[in-house]
Amino acid sequence: MSWRWALARRVAKLAATDGGGGAQAQRLLPTSSAAAGTGLLGRLHMPLASQIRSKVVGCRGAALVSSRWLHDAQYQVRQDGASRAQEQQDPFELVADELSLLANRLRSMVAAELHLQVPKLASAAEYFFKVGAEGKRFRPTVLLLMASALKFPLSESTEGGVLSILADKLRTRQQNIAEITEMIHVASLLHDDVLDDADTRRGVSSLNLIMGNKLSVLAGDFLLSRACVALAALGNTEVVSLMATAVEHLVTGETMQISTSREQRRSMEYYLQKTYYKTASLISNSCKAVAILAGHTAEVSMLAYEYGRNLGLAFQLIDDVLDFTGTSASLGKGSLSDIRHGIITAPMLYAIEEFPQLQEVVDRGFDNPANIEIALDYLRKSRGIERTKELAREHADRAVKAIESLPDSDDEDVLTSRRALIDITERVITRTK
Amino acid sequence: MCLRLCRAPVVGCRGAALVSSRWLHDAQYQVRQDGASRAQEQQDPFELVADELSLLANRLRSMVAAEVPKLASAAEYFFKVGAEGKRFRPTVLLLMASALKFPLSESTEGGVLSILADKLRTRQQNIAEITEMIHVASLLHDDVLDDADTRRGVSSLNLIMGNKLSVLAGDFLLSRACVALAALGNTEVVSLMATAVEHLVTGETMQISTSREQRRSMEYYLQKTYYKTASLISNSCKAVAILAGHTAEVSMLTYEYGRNLGLAFQLIDDVLDFTGTSASLGKGSLSDIHHGIITAPMLYAIEEFPQLQEIVDRGFDNSANIEIALDYLRKSRGIERTKELAREHADRAVKAIESLPDSDDEDVLTSRRALIDITERVITRTK
Repeated sequence: MSWRWALARRVAKLAATDGGGGAQAQRLLPTSSAAAGTGLLGRLHMPLASQIRSKVVGCRGAALVSSRWLHDAQYQVRQDGASRAQEQQDPFELVADELSLLANRLRSMVAAELHLQVPKLASAAEYFFKVGAEGKRFRPTVLLLMASALKFPLSESTEGGVLSILADKLRTRQQNIAEITEMIHVASLLHDDVLDDADTRRGVSSLNLIMGNKLSVLAGDFLLSRACVALAALGNTEVVSLMATAVEHLVTGETMQISTSREQRRSMEYYLQKTYYKTASLISNSCKAVAILAGHTAEVSMLAYEYGRNLGLAFQLIDDVLDFTGTSASLGKGSLSDIRHGIITAPMLYAIEEFPQLQEVVDRGFDNPANIEIALDYLRKSRGIERTKELAREHADRAVKAIESLPDSDDEDVLTSRRALIDITERVITRTK
Repeated sequence: MCLRLCRAPVVGCRGAALVSSRWLHDAQYQVRQDGASRAQEQQDPFELVADELSLLANRLRSMVAAEVPKLASAAEYFFKVGAEGKRFRPTVLLLMASALKFPLSESTEGGVLSILADKLRTRQQNIAEITEMIHVASLLHDDVLDDADTRRGVSSLNLIMGNKLSVLAGDFLLSRACVALAALGNTEVVSLMATAVEHLVTGETMQISTSREQRRSMEYYLQKTYYKTASLISNSCKAVAILAGHTAEVSMLTYEYGRNLGLAFQLIDDVLDFTGTSASLGKGSLSDIHHGIITAPMLYAIEEFPQLQEIVDRGFDNSANIEIALDYLRKSRGIERTKELAREHADRAVKAIESLPDSDDEDVLTSRRALIDITERVITRTK
């Protein structure tokens, strides 16, 4: 963590030299906006006091101080009138170090098994090595921020003392929840990939598909069993129960999806229930687990749960919209993968409410691309997309409300994390991919 | 005998059951003293716990009820009446629970201690249910991995409902098992069963990915066998002891019983795959060798006839190769040595039971004899 302090000093030093240092300092800072960077540099004289304080409070304290410094600097900039959204620190950046730590732990855990000469498990390891959309590490970020948002106040006089050690222990346990959540998530992806005989026979190389099936099953089992052991090691049976329930929900949701009957394909209620199971249950239960590990009350744990649940639902609803619209605002430019797989999502369900004749089109199925065009036409005429966005907004608002209902705190870290969690709900709603 | 029957109305229903089983036992003891062979009169260990097993079966069926119909039928497939299997594991666990009972003075019958004893029994029954769920979950996945057609005498689930649903059903059972585990509120027990789950996966992984060197190694084979077959029963035996509040020493003894019983079971299984119900080789289903799985008898044979290694390495897609291997096996002491090893493990299991703290309780003694009896049946069975 001391690298943050070192970074802060380096930035200060560079900025103190005129002109040339400024550009270098800018590159070091995680902020994206150039204006913010300049703003930061312009305010460097202010944090000198905190830099002195960092020497007094020690390494860990320094990291806290310097992150506060970065935050304060941005706060200064905000007061200068620049847009809040721009200056808001990237929530993913807030926990970037911890995420690396988690990724390394997960990677080494999987790699440790490779000594059994099981290259099969490399496919599981792949998910952890992947950088990109999946590598955004959405869930662990939310969980780490939630852990910070729920921190109990620690008076600084106990720095380095027993309470501080306990706080570190708790943090590690909460990080473990994030790791367990990722393991469960990837295991469910792997098991969802398992194909049935009919599908394997259609493949060009059925042997590969069959082997692929076995690898998927085995790799998924491997991850689930490791998650079980890690959960047991936390020594909290309520948390075991929560995460086991999340696994049950993932399985139930996937089964609902592959076995939807005709009536069920018309039902918004069925769709939302399935969506909760498949997308929101894992994040909501792990948020709750984070709160429970910290020893919070049932009320606070429920708020953490509500945040996760509403965030997950909002996320999936926007996902459904983007599958139609893609990065443009116009319909039909998205990948249309849901409709091609016969999965009827919220926008289409809303459209059917407006245009009952669309139901018959949907029932015909979508093997025929012409049918897809007809359905898209109805969707375009309807308010399906808008209503889905509205519903997503509703859930995002509820997530924000949950955070705002958390017990008050003065702690800067807590406030920063809560703002970041709120920021994430905004990003989820406004994202275009 | 008359005295005991009179006692029944005094000690209450549960006590009566205890008394009556004691009576049956005493009657048999009388017969034994009359000179008939001990093995014949020994009460069938599976019968001792038959009622409880029915109770467990019913509870299990309700525990795996799912809200999505397709998932429900998949999950309960092997818990339906008729497809439950021999109930080997639950029987062992229930007997173990009885074998570990702390003495209850009869004056406390119906009192607090009695209620606590019932509560403990229920929790130990839960371990048996959890163990079954974990076991069936692993079977469902194994069948997908093996492309199996049948299981327990009926069509395999993957054949009937597809691979994906089998995988999902297995995950569902595992998650339900975990919830039930958590409900016991004992983190050591959660840890033990989580370890068993991990071992099942490790064992299956070892089996699927065996390299050439590993296929020659008795050590690798025994380790894999422990993971795949013995770990679950040994860890659940230990869990039963821990729930009862026994010392670490006693818990280790129950673990040792389960471990050695499981290993003995698998070793005989390996023999039977070659011999079947006859004593002669090649009459068994030969399913292991057809799947390229090299088991103890063959590994012992390779020790005696190194040239057999080359044949084994060639693989067994060619049935002529199987015949050659069986020939070597016949000439070797592979089958005998495997049986000897199984006997060794069975003896160790017996020793573990005999090392348990002394008890006067008839139930305890009956159960311990039953556990010992089971090791004998495992060794001498022909199918």
